[in-house]
Amino acid sequence: MCSINNTIRSANDGICMCNKQNSHNTIIKSCCILYFLFLLSLDVQSQNPCDKIISGKVFDTETNKPLPDVIVRSINNPKVIGNRVIYSSTDKFSISDTNGKFLLEDLCLDEDSLVFSRIGYKDSLISLEGDFWTVSLTETSVELENVLISDEREIISGTQTLSRQTINLDDRVVDRTSSLAGIASEIDGVTFISTGSNVERPVIHGLYGNRVLILNNYIKHGFQNWGDDHAPEINIASVERISVLKGSSGVRFGPEALGGAIIVEADPMDLRKPYFLNVNSGYQTNGKGANFSIKTGKGFDNFAFNLGLSYMKLGDRHAPSYSLTNSGKEEIGLNLGLHYHLNDFDIKLYYSYVDINLAMLRSSIFHSGDAISRAISSDTPLFIRPFSYDINEPNQLVNHHLTKVNINWWYDENEKITFTFGRQLNKRKEFDVRRNADRPIIDLDLTTTDLMLDWDHSFSERSDGMIGFHFFNQDNDNNPGTSTTPYIPNYNTNRYSFFLIENLKFGKNLFEVGARFDYEDYNVRGRDISQNIFRDEHSLNNVTFSVGYENQVNESFSFRSNLGSAWRTPNMSELYSFGSHGFKNSFGLLRYYYNEDQELRTDRVVIMRESELSSEKSLKLINELDYNSDKNDVKLTLFSNYILNYVFERPIGLYGTIRGPMPYFIFDQNDVLFIGSDLTFKRKFTNKFKTSLSLNYMWSNNLDNNGKLINQPPVRIEKNFIFEIESFWKVNFSEISLTPSYIFHQFQAPITITPQSLISGENNITPDTDIFDFKDAPEGYFLLDFSWKLNINDFTASIIVNNVLNKKYRNYLNYMRYFADDMGRNFIFNLSYTFKKKN
Amino acid sequence: MKNIFKLNYLLYTVLTLFIFTACEEDEAAPEEENEVEVFTDVKLVFTPTAGGAAVEASAQDPDGAGVQELQVLGAINLAANTSYTLTMVIENCLESPCELMNEEIEEEDVEHQFFFAFTNDAFTSPAGNGNIDSASDPINYNDSDSNGHSLGLNTSWTTGSASTGTFTVQLQHQPDVKTATSGATDGDTDFALTFNLNIN
Repeated sequence: MCSINNTIRSANDGICMCNKQNSHNTIIKSCCILYFLFLLSLDVQSQNPCDKIISGKVFDTETNKPLPDVIVRSINNPKVIGNRVIYSSTDKFSISDTNGKFLLEDLCLDEDSLVFSRIGYKDSLISLEGDFWTVSLTETSVELENVLISDEREIISGTQTLSRQTINLDDRVVDRTSSLAGIASEIDGVTFISTGSNVERPVIHGLYGNRVLILNNYIKHGFQNWGDDHAPEINIASVERISVLKGSSGVRFGPEALGGAIIVEADPMDLRKPYFLNVNSGYQTNGKGANFSIKTGKGFDNFAFNLGLSYMKLGDRHAPSYSLTNSGKEEIGLNLGLHYHLNDFDIKLYYSYVDINLAMLRSSIFHSGDAISRAISSDTPLFIRPFSYDINEPNQLVNHHLTKVNINWWYDENEKITFTFGRQLNKRKEFDVRRNADRPIIDLDLTTTDLMLDWDHSFSERSDGMIGFHFFNQDNDNNPGTSTTPYIPNYNTNRYSFFLIENLKFGKNLFEVGARFDYEDYNVRGRDISQNIFRDEHSLNNVTFSVGYENQVNESFSFRSNLGSAWRTPNMSELYSFGSHGFKNSFGLLRYYYNEDQELRTDRVVIMRESELSSEKSLKLINELDYNSDKNDVKLTLFSNYILNYVFERPIGLYGTIRGPMPYFIFDQNDVLFIGSDLTFKRKFTNKFKTSLSLNYMWSNNLDNNGKLINQPPVRIEKNFIFEIESFWKVNFSEISLTPSYIFHQFQAPITITPQSLISGENNITPDTDIFDFKDAPEGYFLLDFSWKLNINDFTASIIVNNVLNKKYRNYLNYMRYFADDMGRNFIFNLSYTFKKKN
Repeated sequence: MKNIFKLNYLLYTVLTLFIFTACEEDEAAPEEENEVEVFTDVKLVFTPTAGGAAVEASAQDPDGAGVQELQVLGAINLAANTSYTLTMVIENCLESPCELMNEEIEEEDVEHQFFFAFTNDAFTSPAGNGNIDSASDPINYNDSDSNGHSLGLNTSWTTGSASTGTFTVQLQHQPDVKTATSGATDGDTDFALTFNLNIN
């Protein structure tokens, strides 16, 4: 985010910060994208249209040094295409001196913009009028409003040739009560898998769970990353930007980035940023939910801070024809950041805390085979109560603390050493409908420690790269008092990693090569069903690589391709889960075996080295074609991902228990292949009317088991229309968006074997039975979403209507589809006030 | 110089933080839990009120939450035209020795009730086919919870003439649900077991 403060007739009051990146015909400074900071002052002497004077000072906010040799041009009618600014110059330009100062004189009133360019930085554009320039230039002694300029954030080394898309939350109409995954799913190729309305996990190109790395401010979010019902505990109010890397970024970020990575960033706490205060509140009809948040911060010459607080509460949501009993949520968030700049050192300290209470659908819990048969075959849930804000069992209570210290040492203009220390504490308690429901059935404390030392270097004009040493430690402990056998054992993990990424630039071609070595050790202690202790220790190491290529063919066409390997050890729940969790009984890879008679047995824990288990290994090829012209913007992504020993959970049958037959699930490993494409076509008909069309297709093939897999995203097509409305009354900006979408029936779903047919003995399960599901994949459905955003001075208001047609549907990737419809129509009202101090 | 000193101090603090926090490793296993969720063995003990040997029938789930099928061991063989007292014995045999779970139910008696179903008119008392299909049907409960509602760990039965049929016993867990009129479909099922019934 970039801002200018200007004061007429005042020499040096204005500040602007903006973020720049190199244009493609200059060398990419991979270490980071430096920021320009500049001070602007505007002098209007008279009504004469050509005697404007603008002066200022340009800074690089990361090194906090004045930047010389920046070309500042006054331009007319600029167009931004991709990362570049196309304009007709007015021949008026200035070059900043050794102190970063520049002066532009004799500017005319129709010269509406300034463009800043420098080798190694991306062009940056500042508009001097239009939506942002709220007062007439002819008036004297008037303070001008802040100017906001969209920017491009730093490209992360080792991922330059990967497809990357970013959502800036301040620029978007976003439902602030939705989840991280819900917001990230606005990006093509990203969807989410959910368990009810509250738990949503991102899916990138068919991969999810711990195959999508969630980086919370660039450190791995340390949470109970297992099961489909554990979403990352990230407070959306503390997030400024969400980026999605769609390729395998295992070299840069380590194991688990098989499918890609989602990077969540807080306010970067830019220096010299004027004081701001943002108050945001919202209400939504579905769930009668309210949310409130407040953010404040300020940047001084070498110190900056920010502070944020948020609260939300939602009651039971409703489907079009009934209430989804026990589906509310409550969330409290706090975040605090400090930024200190000292000579060549840049130090950032960040802390965030979130406390969440999530209700899970009551109708998803059954204690008899008969009940589950009825629930799965019934059109309506078996448990419907009137609306309530109460959160009863089953529910999840989670506290997450994250502390991060980041020190950058700019020992040279283009080279730096970064030290990062992160520590997270995740306390999770889950309550189930059971005897002793007041005691948690799962009560875990997970401590995660990250230590990272990264060296961004530049060996020559043409090449630069990054070398990193990372240490990662996780310590998971069960708290006593659950009155049940621990579902997840206690464990300690240590991982030591080394990686190297270099890139080389030849004209329009960029090559990127990376390799990584990881060593991991595990120490596991658990209890079996008879409360006997089992222990296991194992260690493993692995090498991953990636090769990438980017070609900026011409101004409007670019191509990038990346081939990357990644690996992942099956996680603790995939290995050790045992017993009942929610409506399922699940068995991890080491908790079951087949005896001589090919009968499934679960009476002992298999030791890792005696098992036939292997780590998951993947090879992902991703190609992206990007075409930008004046009016059209086409992006085509083609990918294939070959995964050895892919771990997944699947139904295995109904087994007799003392309660009656219950549904059982096991974790299994197969070799799989995913092939797919994302296509986005954006067209700008006029400045006021834009459309986009996106199509996501993925074909999955199980190479071991007759081709079928379970829970893969269906084909999706989405159209978006955006109309910008002329200013009226006091409204200075207003935009309406209409988004129809169609989600197809998952034609690749496995066969269906209903619980009834298993109870009646019609179907019998053997180890050779194909992968099956308890219920047919839902039919395709059409959804319509609407949003309207408008600005009145410092206020921004928005209305979002999700599921405008109140369509009754079930989402194949929502686990609750077995029991209930998805949410019905929802009106979300949001009002935000931003105060920015004028210097 | 002063600034450099400050920075060193900061780095030192960060490093100390790391050394003190990142290196503690523990080898502790999760603590032993008193498993209250699992019932593996349910025994029905029919004691003739006039004295004599008790008749037992039992059902066993050999591995609790594991995948082995529930086994119903034997039929209920009762004498015709005889009065019996039925007592339930509920155990978790994954613990060694087996742990008696009756106490668990007695402690939470306001949340539990046993329901029964049997072949119509197999018994002269209670008559009919039991209270699983209709909660108001007669069953001779000998115990009640602290609210005065029936519990069913102890019940009375008088057989009719010789017949064969089935006998189902179902334990419902009904927290905040149990009332004088709540039935076998309210709350959650702790177990539901069906035995063959022979009256000779």
